[in-house]
Amino acid sequence: MKPAAITYIVTRTHGLRTHLITPRDIQFLAKTKSLREVSDNLLKTEYGTEISKLPTKEVDASTLEGIFFKTLVDRYFLIAREAQGKMQELLNAYCTRFEVENIKRILRARHGNKISEEPSLIPLSREHTLVNFQALLNAKDVDEAVGLLRETVYRPLSEKLELYRQADVTMVLEAALDNIYFGRLWQLVQEVSDGAGLKDLIGGEIDLHNLLITFSLKARDLSANLIDEVLLSSSHRLPLRRLRALTKGRLEDAPNTLTTPPFSKLASAALTAVSGGSSMPLERIILKQLYEEASTALRTRFLEAGYVIAYLLLCECEARNLLTIATGKQLAVSEEQISQNLLGI
Amino acid sequence: MSVGRVAVTRGVLLRLREQIEFIKRGKELLQMKRDNLAAETNRLLAKVGKRHEFDKRLMAAYDALKVAYMTLGYSQVQSEASTVGLLETRVRPRSVMGVLVPEVVAGKKPIIASITNASSYAAADKLSALIGELLEIAEAESRIESIAQELMMTNRKVNALERVLIPQTIELIRYIEGRLEEEALEEFFRAKRVKAVIRRVK
Repeated sequence: MKPAAITYIVTRTHGLRTHLITPRDIQFLAKTKSLREVSDNLLKTEYGTEISKLPTKEVDASTLEGIFFKTLVDRYFLIAREAQGKMQELLNAYCTRFEVENIKRILRARHGNKISEEPSLIPLSREHTLVNFQALLNAKDVDEAVGLLRETVYRPLSEKLELYRQADVTMVLEAALDNIYFGRLWQLVQEVSDGAGLKDLIGGEIDLHNLLITFSLKARDLSANLIDEVLLSSSHRLPLRRLRALTKGRLEDAPNTLTTPPFSKLASAALTAVSGGSSMPLERIILKQLYEEASTALRTRFLEAGYVIAYLLLCECEARNLLTIATGKQLAVSEEQISQNLLGI
Repeated sequence: MSVGRVAVTRGVLLRLREQIEFIKRGKELLQMKRDNLAAETNRLLAKVGKRHEFDKRLMAAYDALKVAYMTLGYSQVQSEASTVGLLETRVRPRSVMGVLVPEVVAGKKPIIASITNASSYAAADKLSALIGELLEIAEAESRIESIAQELMMTNRKVNALERVLIPQTIELIRYIEGRLEEEALEEFFRAKRVKAVIRRVK
């Protein structure tokens, strides 16, 4: 029998799922004529409260992006608040992806050393993070920023400073942050009872993250050592040895190296994308797979803890789709191209 | 230069002859400058001619940037872009036949290696590959603008010398020469008459 806390959070998620914008409505938004029309249509949704506060003149893709992320953050933390025990611990850890993203943005800004340009951060209230972003923003360089993180869970970042200085690329530190994030998540997944669905979704995300890193960096002809360094140390269905073989070999051999489904099919699609033969960027191909897995989990694991993670992934998918539509409308991108870039539709 | 107001003297004639030589030399120099500027413009036009094809490549790079914006959003792309260093350029003045034109010296190219995301990297890669050519075309266009202005001025000066000043001065010289010839003839005739009167009186 399932613990009552898990049953409660799954049931609660079922209720919250109804708040998601349906794929049909997303397609309708993609077909609207202007950004104004998009924001008007969103007034009837969960985003409406924030959008209605905006003066009409201030409605642009950048402002809407802030609202989409704020709503996404609220949805994530609402679920985490409602959960209990190990599941709450796992969800709290899952929610730190925003904190990690903000740290990455600050590190990138300090690396570029453009003091005049403050990075735009995902809106996170003080209760949702233990990191003092203001102090990080005031750091004069990456070393100081990493030093400030020494007393947090991001302490292992300081071990990567030497490699960062040698390679002079922030991706080393970003990978270390991802490793800390996914490492902790993977550890917590093992502790949650009813974790099979969770394992598939979180493990799937880890595998896809590794696949994305391998393809995007290999296409840039970066050294196998550096790619190995930025891969996540955990994996689920895609063994790291296969990826390492891929980093040392030729990218063209990827469909043969990654033989298990869905990776062989993904590898072929990714190969077409990196060679410029696909209109869809590499991330979209990988994310599409991730959100398809989440959609499937939403249909098949409707009484399991994995349902919660699937819902959160679909919240993220919705935010990304809205972002694509709003940005596309602002940049006068054709309706067809916007539709092509939508995920999970 | 009005014919009526000029003193008809040999001194003026000599000065005008010197002046016409000077004007002709000046005209030749200006013509030389005009030809050089025209040659420079033609050379630059060949560069600017590539603009159409360059615009297409630039639009393709912008399309890649649009895809990055649509995939990641403004804040993420801005964040990825913050890892890229600034492009160092120096603009120094250069003189082409006395016309000051800008010369763009590109310094260190921005390093895009820190960009992790594939879409952002694709856009950055396409855009940074075009930077050198973009600077060249911008420099050529700016030079053409300055040179065209000077070319127009020089052309006007050459035309003014060729069609107004030189013909007027030549006409003036001819007039003074004519008047001086008349005066000399008058003087000669007067002297002859005086001689004839003196001979008769004797």
